[in-house]
Amino acid sequence: MNVIVPLVAGILAGVFLRDKRRIDLSKVIFGAIVALIFSMGFMIGSNNDLLASMPRIGGNAIVIASLVVFFSVVFMKIAKKVVRFE
Amino acid sequence: MIKYILVALVFGGIMGYLNNNFGSLIADSWISNYLFNFSLILLLFVMGFMFGADREAVVKLRRAGLKIFIVPFSITLGSIVGGLVGGYVLGLSLVGSMAVSAGFGWYTLAGPLVGRLFGSELGALGFVVNFLRELLTILTVSFMVKVDRYAPTASGGATTMDTTLPVIVRYCGSESLMNAFSSGFILSIIAPFTITTIATLPH
Repeated sequence: MNVIVPLVAGILAGVFLRDKRRIDLSKVIFGAIVALIFSMGFMIGSNNDLLASMPRIGGNAIVIASLVVFFSVVFMKIAKKVVRFE
Repeated sequence: MIKYILVALVFGGIMGYLNNNFGSLIADSWISNYLFNFSLILLLFVMGFMFGADREAVVKLRRAGLKIFIVPFSITLGSIVGGLVGGYVLGLSLVGSMAVSAGFGWYTLAGPLVGRLFGSELGALGFVVNFLRELLTILTVSFMVKVDRYAPTASGGATTMDTTLPVIVRYCGSESLMNAFSSGFILSIIAPFTITTIATLPH
């Protein structure tokens, strides 16, 4: 199933229901995140091959994260030069 | 928040390991199909709802002017190029590593979503890369602010609307609040779309 559907449905529901009485959604988000991360951990833990490759994944992640941060700053600098905003 | 996430991840990992290696009490598919998909869909719906219902968000965006689009757009390009270069250097799937970096630091989304689209190994990478992005942003903010006023915002990606916002404001001053918030807000909205769009590329 497409993941965009619930996101767009949520945005539309939010726009139409914004004046209704508020319920505290931060608890729902917290619960969903904990359940999601738990099941992700479960899927990693129950896969012995994946578990064995975690050190390599961690090493790769450090390289990618550093490059992502570096290029984000470089591109932002370029955009700033081109568009000349302060 | 971050400690609950780490506990949930480690606890899930231990449970999965025990369940797999010492007799299956619950079927793996119950977790990977039902709990995982249900909570992902619920999270996306509720996040969407909060964006849609937040009247002030639109006002905040308008106040920041045209650059609200230019800054996050350049960060989007920079992140994806960073992922592409990283994937090339490390010999990983290029499309996969671009999708991983299109999470813009939102690791609770990027990890599971990339995992769903590309499999568990890239999902784990997606989680760690984006988690490290948030960590790097916090650790390097005092240096980054000397490079450029907007550098911490670029580094933080989607996290600058919530978790890294206080740190950025502390180092870059309160006038950076609008720019950092609006950039993180826009990147958070487009992150699910950029990841899914990249996943449609042949890989």
